Amino acid sequence: MKAGLEVHQQLATGKLFCECPTELSEELRGSFSRRLRAATGENHGVDPAAAFQASRGLLYRYEVGPANCLVEMDEEPPHPLNELALDTALTLAAFLHAEPVDEIEVMRKIVVDGSNTTGFQRTALIARDGYLEVGGRRISILTICLEEDAARRMREADGEVVYRLDRLGIPLVEVATGPDITSGAEAREVAQEIGALLRATRRVRRGIGTIREDVNVSVEGGHRIEIKGVQELGKIQEYVDEEVARQKLLLEVRDELVRRRAHVTDHLPTDVTEVFRGIPTGPLAEVDRTGAIVLAFPLAGFAGLLKSPPGSEERLGREFADQARAQGLRGLLHSDELPAFGMAATQVEEVRSRLALSESDAFVLVIDRSRDRAEAALRRVAARARVAVEGIPGETRDPLLDGRTRYSRPLPGRDRMYPETDIPPILLTKDRMSRIERELPERPTALRARLEREHGLSAEIVRQIVYSDQEPQFEELTRRGHAAALVVRLLFQDLPAVGPPAPGRPSFEPTTETLDALLTGVERGRFAKEGIPTMLATLAAGAPDLDTAIERAGLSGFTPDDLESLIDRIVRANADLVRTRSADAFSPLMGDVMREVRGRRDGKEVADALRRSIARIRAENAS
Amino acid sequence: MRALPMGCRVEVSDGHDRRWIGTVVPRHDLSGDRILPLKLENGYNVGLRIEPTFTFRLLEGVPATVMPESLPIASSTLPVTDSPFVTLLTTGGTIASRVDYETGGVKPVKEEREVLAFYPELQNAGRVRIVPVFDRLSEDLTPEDWWVLAEKVVQAFREGACGVVIAHGTDTLGYTAAALSFLLVDLPGPVVLVGAQRSPDRPSSDGATNLRAAVEVAHDRRIGEVVVVMHAGLSDSRFAIHRATWVRKMHSSRRDAFESRNGPALGFNERGTIRFDLPPRPPSAGPARAEGPIDLHAGILWFYPGLTPQRAAEYARGLRGLVLAGTGLGHVAANHLDWIREAVERGVVVTMTTQCLGGNAAPYVYATGRELLRAGVLYLGDLLPETAYAKMIWALGRASEPSAVARLLQADRAGEFGRRHLTGGDQ
Repeated sequence: MKAGLEVHQQLATGKLFCECPTELSEELRGSFSRRLRAATGENHGVDPAAAFQASRGLLYRYEVGPANCLVEMDEEPPHPLNELALDTALTLAAFLHAEPVDEIEVMRKIVVDGSNTTGFQRTALIARDGYLEVGGRRISILTICLEEDAARRMREADGEVVYRLDRLGIPLVEVATGPDITSGAEAREVAQEIGALLRATRRVRRGIGTIREDVNVSVEGGHRIEIKGVQELGKIQEYVDEEVARQKLLLEVRDELVRRRAHVTDHLPTDVTEVFRGIPTGPLAEVDRTGAIVLAFPLAGFAGLLKSPPGSEERLGREFADQARAQGLRGLLHSDELPAFGMAATQVEEVRSRLALSESDAFVLVIDRSRDRAEAALRRVAARARVAVEGIPGETRDPLLDGRTRYSRPLPGRDRMYPETDIPPILLTKDRMSRIERELPERPTALRARLEREHGLSAEIVRQIVYSDQEPQFEELTRRGHAAALVVRLLFQDLPAVGPPAPGRPSFEPTTETLDALLTGVERGRFAKEGIPTMLATLAAGAPDLDTAIERAGLSGFTPDDLESLIDRIVRANADLVRTRSADAFSPLMGDVMREVRGRRDGKEVADALRRSIARIRAENAS
Repeated sequence: MRALPMGCRVEVSDGHDRRWIGTVVPRHDLSGDRILPLKLENGYNVGLRIEPTFTFRLLEGVPATVMPESLPIASSTLPVTDSPFVTLLTTGGTIASRVDYETGGVKPVKEEREVLAFYPELQNAGRVRIVPVFDRLSEDLTPEDWWVLAEKVVQAFREGACGVVIAHGTDTLGYTAAALSFLLVDLPGPVVLVGAQRSPDRPSSDGATNLRAAVEVAHDRRIGEVVVVMHAGLSDSRFAIHRATWVRKMHSSRRDAFESRNGPALGFNERGTIRFDLPPRPPSAGPARAEGPIDLHAGILWFYPGLTPQRAAEYARGLRGLVLAGTGLGHVAANHLDWIREAVERGVVVTMTTQCLGGNAAPYVYATGRELLRAGVLYLGDLLPETAYAKMIWALGRASEPSAVARLLQADRAGEFGRRHLTGGDQ
């Protein structure tokens, strides 16, 4: 197999073509609705991906908030390209040894799924032909682009898709590698390394969704598949491995289809609605309930290849169902899984006989109220089945939570791009390029060496810091005098342990100032480092400041004397244990004591006090 | 480099290890010196700075021009049926323009098939006959063109159209609309001007939705006047029907740039349902006529602090009619009274409108107004300066005596006067 990555990182430089902030917002100030058409491009061609989306005929509703002006609403021409964002892309180009173009031309990339109010995404090629060293291998960098992020998709219902405009126009740097990656594990490492380089520019947005990856995968004899919008870096390996498995399976199926001389006829679908009257539950209940029709389509030679034996991987059935879904249906039924869904074996036989099928033939059923839509779905299935005899279709797929992917749309072609005439070309001057070189920030490799040296941290921990979003916070907090070990524990152990926000609450992203105050609280003995998780949870739940958080977490006013008397009470209550187990009583008692201390005093202080108390009791017992 | 034809595929080498393969595309008129624009294999255009050491290798020649196939339904082949049809006159402008990749700007299309290439849905409608009239941006249209359009409208009705749609650039659409209101009489159906604020090469163009809404309005049997149909808000679902003499472009880029001033629009077209808040002028039994000639010895003068009487007098020289856009209720500085008095004595019809673009020009409230009135200035109430100008061009053509021109200007002709000025719902 071979794979390539496209890494998209949001920049914190202000929006790319207007002066709006790059912060997301839950505040709404209104909405409007639009339709998009598949416009013809520079060469009068219509892009297949664009035509596909336009064919869905959806209405798009856009929610407007405080981070929007007329530019994102497509009500005003774009302003000049954000210079700081361009500098950031050029900085990354320098990191990746890539060659900047002489004159930048902003392009329009047609995207008519509604995620851009204009119907296109503005994008510009900034540099090309670079490379990156990962694990001793050289990975080529094909292109570095600067583009605008799309609107956030909120929901879809009743033929209307709702987007929010806050994210639209945030600058994205896109780094595309060559198809040099040879395993899922390597894909993850490359993504991590590019992420570290991006963060080293110091101008990136941080947090969930601010970096997204597209993964291109193909196996020998297969076709390029683009998995679009993977948000979790850790899952890249899984998606790649799953995709390789899917493509290998489809190639096996292809070989079997060829051996059987399977083929797809040009026949019109057969209406078998009458066969399925009187089924009370499941998808076929729609026939009686809503007057849905059932259409059947034969697949000669496909029997047994739609679904594998139980326990093994699903085969073509899922591919076909995806096509039906792309047409707006809930899915389809196929003969390998029937009889099921409340139908009898006789009904399956009836369909088989109406289609004049032999044992080795399969069929699919679609159920829908609209005959046009049902027929369109079957045309898609038939087209997909024809390709199955040849191999693997190139397509764009959406990542699912379980590591698998789902068909999204055809791969876009070259007709997709034409010049953005509202923005004049930008000449890159020698002065600008030498300034970029002069002001180049520290590279991740140098950063790693420095962190190891300055803080005496292990290479493994430094790697974790540099590959994370929190690296700038780590640097800032240690610069303010906090011990590196304590900062690492806070950023990489305690903070990730804070659970997801309660419904309606924003996700918890404490500022450097808050974390600084928290660490200062520990250092001044206001509460123990063991109290940090409780403090973070309290802050995440909405405590406005540190003092309130200490109060609400019940961490205040627990003096060393309070600790002594608490321990004394617990040890005396367990006097028998101390007598029988003597010094070995320490461990069980420490657990009890820590539970009650709840992070209000330092662990070491508690342990010392407990040892003293045990010794005292033993002395009393001995005397 | 100059020898490289547009559209050919080349390999460019810097003589060392740098290489580019791409198609030569048109230069942007703001490109830098010695920049060769190339469309790379990945679809991106980039500009390459050519050095003397560079070498070129031609990989492929220029492909045959790819143009959309000639589309059917030309006006001459419109099927003869009894069902009513609308004639679409195109004049150029954003609604009928394509991107010019050479200059980076938008250029109007010239032919019917190009219009159909942008709006294939018109083909299916089967009730629209397309007649290209001009292929110019609206800033390049002149009052003579208004007269040509008026005659084309008359011809369209004579040929049996139930309504006429004029696709027009938005910049001066308001002027043309107002002028046609005065030039055309006895309209048997609607004349609908429509434009677009986004060019049709963009998926988000408002051209198609506006055009569709305009064609629907042009089929409405209740209307016998010139109207403008454009977006009523930012959504693609509601379109305002403006009386041509009341409407003005009030924003440079928004879809809902057109506003009826001094009160609400006549009505709305919401998803094909047409509703009127004010009664439109009813259709006449016809036949439609264009009443000319026009006289172009007219001008608009926007008063501003610092405008000297000499400069203003210079501007008025040679004119037969002048529209002043005065401040507030219709004022100019007191030191302008002399040249105005002289102009009126020479026979120039001097009129006053307000540059507030809302409310009346009213001469009696302040001494300045009373002085201007005494000097012979004709106050035109709430007419927009552009509407007053269009009316002036018509009136000057219809009468020679200043007093007769003044009478024409003051009489209501197209429903332009007599508007009640109400407050909106939210005060």
